[in-house]
Amino acid sequence: MGEEEKHNVEQEKPCGYNINDNADLLAEILARLDGRSLCAAACVCRLWGAVSRKDAVWEALCNRHVSSSATDSSFPGTRTVVAALGGYRRLYRRCVGPIFDRLASSGDHGPQSSAVAAAAAARLSLSLFSIDCYERLSVGGRQRPSSLLFLGSAVDVT
Amino acid sequence: MGRNPYHPKPTDEDSSSASETDTLLAGVGYTVRSSDLHHVADRLEKLDSTIIAAAASGVPPEFLCSSAIHYNPSDLASWIDSLLTEVPPHSSPSLWTDATCLPPPSSFSIDAHRLGKEEDAGIRLVHLLMTCADSIQRDDLVLARSLIDEMRLLLPLIGVGYGIGKVSIFFLDALDRRISFLPQPTKTVLEDEILYSHFYEACPNLKFAHFTANQAILEAFNGCDRVHVIDLSLMHGLQWPALIQALALRPGGPPALRLTGIGPKTAKVGLRLAEFARSVGVPFTFQAVAAGRLDSVRVKPGEAVAINSVLQLHLLLSETGPIDSVLTLIRELRPKILTVVEQDADHNKPAFLDRFTEALFYYSTLFDSLAAGGGDGGCSAAAEVYLQREICNIVCCEGSERVERHEPMGRWRVRLGRAGFEPMHLGSNAFRQASMLLKLFSSEGYGVEEVEGCLSLSWHGRSLISASAWRARADSAVALVARHRYIIL
Repeated sequence: MGEEEKHNVEQEKPCGYNINDNADLLAEILARLDGRSLCAAACVCRLWGAVSRKDAVWEALCNRHVSSSATDSSFPGTRTVVAALGGYRRLYRRCVGPIFDRLASSGDHGPQSSAVAAAAAARLSLSLFSIDCYERLSVGGRQRPSSLLFLGSAVDVT
Repeated sequence: MGRNPYHPKPTDEDSSSASETDTLLAGVGYTVRSSDLHHVADRLEKLDSTIIAAAASGVPPEFLCSSAIHYNPSDLASWIDSLLTEVPPHSSPSLWTDATCLPPPSSFSIDAHRLGKEEDAGIRLVHLLMTCADSIQRDDLVLARSLIDEMRLLLPLIGVGYGIGKVSIFFLDALDRRISFLPQPTKTVLEDEILYSHFYEACPNLKFAHFTANQAILEAFNGCDRVHVIDLSLMHGLQWPALIQALALRPGGPPALRLTGIGPKTAKVGLRLAEFARSVGVPFTFQAVAAGRLDSVRVKPGEAVAINSVLQLHLLLSETGPIDSVLTLIRELRPKILTVVEQDADHNKPAFLDRFTEALFYYSTLFDSLAAGGGDGGCSAAAEVYLQREICNIVCCEGSERVERHEPMGRWRVRLGRAGFEPMHLGSNAFRQASMLLKLFSSEGYGVEEVEGCLSLSWHGRSLISASAWRARADSAVALVARHRYIIL
């Protein structure tokens, strides 16, 4: 009986290819998703959840908002600064996502209209993010960060 | 408007007239049987009272919140009945019970009538406020006192949770304080900080100020390796993380940044800013300077200096005030840029009535913008207290105690020009950033305007706060050499 089972299992072995076997490739694919889809993907299984939490995936998402190509953004060292401020995932969740959404819905001079506008929106996002990060630094314990409350509740990626 | 335009038809044994629909109501789209008119009138008043009672207790009645569909509103009788059946019995107001005799069916116009009365009351209140201010100006305190008492009676007639009612209360209280010669409440540094931070969160005014000033400073620091920012009032230092981050990401790498923060208890804030700057890789040093000690600030040779004043300069404008010597001090520090953000209003007029009127309309606009912003209740309430203090200072105080001496941008331009500064135009980047920032706020009344190189934030066209940038005029350098005010370290 045991040998039959083993044989069946061996027969079921693909032919197919399981994406879960290759986390890097999975990361490449997920890096092309938009914010909401990425959150949904994080709920699929533990592996997908872990991959979706990688900051590189969110970095690609943020950079895509700024320029059409997924290459490194124009400022060298952005990655270190963003990492110090809290990471791309937090940046997207707290700032880039809500800001780009709201600007896009508010008119035709939004970030989707030109590279200049998109870059300006990205800089604004980074500025607001830095204020948020600063508020979280508490010397002697202070109130919760609240400078971004005006952006409304962000999409929760946890 | 309060008149009943029709009389209910007497109920008739004849069924045909009893089931006849009322023609006047039919003309506006409602189908009501003539025999039902009394009943409908009564039910409408009951509904009206329920809504008002609920609004007064601050809890929206559930039937207004539910998404249930009420059938055929043109069938007024059954529609009202179905609405009222959803009212829980305990929330029925005690004003109207079924046992009381029915009022004359003039209730269809009762809503419009009440609204009219409220508007009238609001207008009357403003008129009384002005009259009271005028009587104070003429030193007729007896009349002022009686006017204040009259206004207090008027207050319950208008909604004080919003609009003119809310602002009027603050002005009324301030007038009362003034003629009662009550001493000003003591302020603590902690209270100041808390109220300031709530004001920061509740509306975009301060964010606009910070972002615009930062953009100007960033552009002025282009190409400089060592930069020094002097903040005339550090508070929580919320302006600086964004500048530090922008300097960190500057093409060519960050400069060495020195920050001098003037104000009470700045050491802790300096520590936080230092930690922040360290984490993003900007070489940073901080110096704390006590409030009002701009004269003890030292600049090093070779560093580019930016001086930042957000809502500070107007505090120096009293008759014996040090505005001129402070501006001279600032000029002697040889800043590359001086950023000035001030309220755009004329609250420094010598005549009390003029000042009062200006302030009433300015703060009404400001409170409108706060209310439209939506924000969570706690934030806007504290922001209102922050503004209330300003109102109190403008209305109650005189002489050196009155520090909230706002002046319009035009007058600042003249003053700064006289002190040896020339304006620097805030560029299109600052304009774009400010417009984008305002779009992020939920209310749509905000706008950015550019006037002669200065940017101002406006609410429905009324300018609230103006930001501008200045540098010392070259010809004033001669006077500086003669003074030898700065020490080479």
